[in-house]
Amino acid sequence: MRYSFGRRRFLGLLGGAAAALGRTYAAPEADAPPYFTEVPPAASGIHWTHVAGLSKDMYVPETIGPGGAFLDYDNDGWMDIYLVNSGPCDFYTPPQPLRNALYRNNRDGTFTDVTEKAGVPGNAYGMGAAVGDYNGDGFPDLYVTQYPRSILYRNNGDGTFTDVTEKAGVAAPGWSSSAVWFDYDNDGRLDLFVCRFGDFSKAKAIFCGNPDIGLHYYCSPKVVKSSTCWLFHNNGDGTFTDVSKESGIASVQSRAWGVVAADINNDGWTDLFVSNDGLENFLLVNRKGKFEEVGLVAGVAYNSFGAARSGMGVDAADYDSDGNVDLFVGNIDHESYALYRNLGQEAFDDVALQTGIATATRLLSGWGLKFTDFDNDGNLDLILCNGHPDTMVKVYSPSVDYRMPMVLLRNTGTAWKNVSAQAGTVFNRPIAGRGLALGDFDNDGAVDVLAMVNDGPPVLLRNHAGRSNHWLGLRLVGRKANIDAVGAVVSYRAGDLKRRVVKVGGGSFLSSHDPRMVLGLGKAAKVDSLEVRWPQPGGGVERFQDVPADRYVTIVEGQGTWK
Amino acid sequence: MGGEDRMKGKWVQAGSLRRQAAVLLSVALAGGALLAQTAGKSAPVDPSASAERALKLVGQGRCKEALPILQRAMPRLTDKDLRYHAAMGLARCAMARQDMASAMSTLVLLRREFPDDPEVLFVSVHYFSHLATEASQELAAKAPTSFQARRLEAEAFESQGKWDEAAGMYRGILRDNSKEPGVHYRLGQVLLSKAGESGPVDEARAEFQKELEVEPRDSASEFILGELARRAGEWDEAARHFSRASEVDAEFSEAYIALGMSLTSAGKFAEAVAPLVTYVKMQPEDPLGHYQLALAYGRTGNREGAAREAALQKETAARQRPTPGGAAGREVR
Repeated sequence: MRYSFGRRRFLGLLGGAAAALGRTYAAPEADAPPYFTEVPPAASGIHWTHVAGLSKDMYVPETIGPGGAFLDYDNDGWMDIYLVNSGPCDFYTPPQPLRNALYRNNRDGTFTDVTEKAGVPGNAYGMGAAVGDYNGDGFPDLYVTQYPRSILYRNNGDGTFTDVTEKAGVAAPGWSSSAVWFDYDNDGRLDLFVCRFGDFSKAKAIFCGNPDIGLHYYCSPKVVKSSTCWLFHNNGDGTFTDVSKESGIASVQSRAWGVVAADINNDGWTDLFVSNDGLENFLLVNRKGKFEEVGLVAGVAYNSFGAARSGMGVDAADYDSDGNVDLFVGNIDHESYALYRNLGQEAFDDVALQTGIATATRLLSGWGLKFTDFDNDGNLDLILCNGHPDTMVKVYSPSVDYRMPMVLLRNTGTAWKNVSAQAGTVFNRPIAGRGLALGDFDNDGAVDVLAMVNDGPPVLLRNHAGRSNHWLGLRLVGRKANIDAVGAVVSYRAGDLKRRVVKVGGGSFLSSHDPRMVLGLGKAAKVDSLEVRWPQPGGGVERFQDVPADRYVTIVEGQGTWK
Repeated sequence: MGGEDRMKGKWVQAGSLRRQAAVLLSVALAGGALLAQTAGKSAPVDPSASAERALKLVGQGRCKEALPILQRAMPRLTDKDLRYHAAMGLARCAMARQDMASAMSTLVLLRREFPDDPEVLFVSVHYFSHLATEASQELAAKAPTSFQARRLEAEAFESQGKWDEAAGMYRGILRDNSKEPGVHYRLGQVLLSKAGESGPVDEARAEFQKELEVEPRDSASEFILGELARRAGEWDEAARHFSRASEVDAEFSEAYIALGMSLTSAGKFAEAVAPLVTYVKMQPEDPLGHYQLALAYGRTGNREGAAREAALQKETAARQRPTPGGAAGREVR
């Protein structure tokens, strides 16, 4: 029985140990310009700073936020920025007033704070933002997740917003984290899913530490009792109905951090993938308006040892253009992130190990993250925003830091390479990274990045790499389908390049993104053929030929043209 | 300061179980020395009364007198509480008096009759540790150059994380006899430990392969070679080793789950079902087996089986789930 010595431990070590062998790091290229440069506050005009209210009592939400969004709130064709702050609640009384911030894009690389005029300051302990035109008036509306109640700001179309939470019925009491707009019942209107992070309140908070030696630290979020998420059906009259129970959403207990909406089985009904902390991730498959949780059998609920990880940020994309949407999840340090390749038939395989992603992320804790073709070569890459939720983590886990650098993983088409070393100095600078939003704020076709930092200023990154290739930007406008065209599938051919890109809802963590799609064309100077498959209830397919590159075009459902 | 007080003070200061055991032993021995200064008296007929009297002697550190009384009374005691205290006193005095046979039998009795008692478990740690120390010292004294003594020394280095020293000892043993069973295996383990989670494993792998040359039916070496193959994503090679491990040791449950996992990783879901079914029969409370079997069933179209195993995974996981704690399992108040 010699083998009884530690053989189970050996099994347990496998995940981390195995990851090391898939190493595919790229050496920095000498004298190569960085892919991204940071736009400092002095240049951007964004002087807002997140204040977490880190307290001696160390309430769990304090180290979790914030998120933010790229949105074109004034419909001028330029991405504006929304940033979420903490605020007053039962466990926190700010010493001075705090507010969220809306920055209008001045179209010259600078931004102006228009929060006061717009009327979107938030009113509680803010977490994140989800943007969607729920009333179909052409102006994006703003849902701000908070503790203990969230807010729906309706865009009035004149640069101002109105808090319509009570009328709409979407306050979602409790601690809300990420949220997403999507059309779950294919009625052409955007519904709202809200992640709830368990059953938290000041009264239910517990002490974590060892008072015998005077040690106090932030609890693992896993100590928060699980609860259920929210699904609100858009009634089309400015109100919503809580359908959490009848839709099946409330049938599963969660500590949900991230959510992405995508049709993972190509049945025309948008599904949800939800990450949970210390619980199984949910794959909520939409069976014509009723959700069935199939994460375990699909192979996305746990790690390969059947253990729940600390699921945090999530995203979905058909990264290998095989016709099936794949999934990505950020986890806590020593768990490695997961890349779930969609095998079809509602089955997935975690390929993080063999792709080298497990290695690159083994000591990281991933919040904001997103598939993005940062260099427009036609392959979807991954950008990751990282940080640990416990300020004291170094004390008990010396190889792990509270602040961590961002990571850029380049998809070569055959492998994933960690190209952070070439990505810019900001990728070597540890930050308490949380939310991450994508948006092309300078309209050059190179998708830029906004990383949100806990208890610090946001980091705005300008993308230079995208300009090295051709691109085509698409603004899709649904008519029968939901106006934001969440769920649209775009297939295109440009020279030898043939790709399929899905417009997912949400993704990342606490954040919302530029609604436009940027198609990477590589060296092709035009799109030879372009096909847009609209979401239901439209469901039509429109095809276009010879679309010129390096510009944004708008395609309205049913019009058969682009402009 | 009395014996108990001195002992408490030492407990607080002691930094390790081993040191604490030594402290306990020294206190007990000191008590025994005092005991030797006092003349013994004959035990009364009533076993309970004699046991209680003996326990008072134990409390006074008079083990020499107490030990024979307790040894005589113990078999006839029926009151559970008194039996517990008498056995604890007997064990303590037997250790103090170097009566190893009596100490061992009493500890076994305590473990059998009071298996969940923290104090019993606590003293067991110290007493067994002391017994182990005694035995190792005896081995070193009586056969200092033997293979066994050198191997024990190597294992001591291992326990201290001194990988190079441990590896040197094992290599020395193998220079004398390269066919010594188990030594290549231990050396392989040391080399794996030294390599850590991301270091090179070729040298360790070679030692496990040599162990199989010495002992072709060594399921542990087969198992670890399988794991090393799995680390490298060599699913077929991994499956071959795990399959062999389960063949030579049919009760090696981990070999079945590892085989099933390797086969599912290789996309051979139908082949994975059999070893996974075996595993869940052997380890029905392990959610991992049910999870893997649910995946295998799901991928082979057995939706009913997948749903059943998924439900079992959740049930077993819920039974095993610890009380929520802080990150890294730290204390939560």
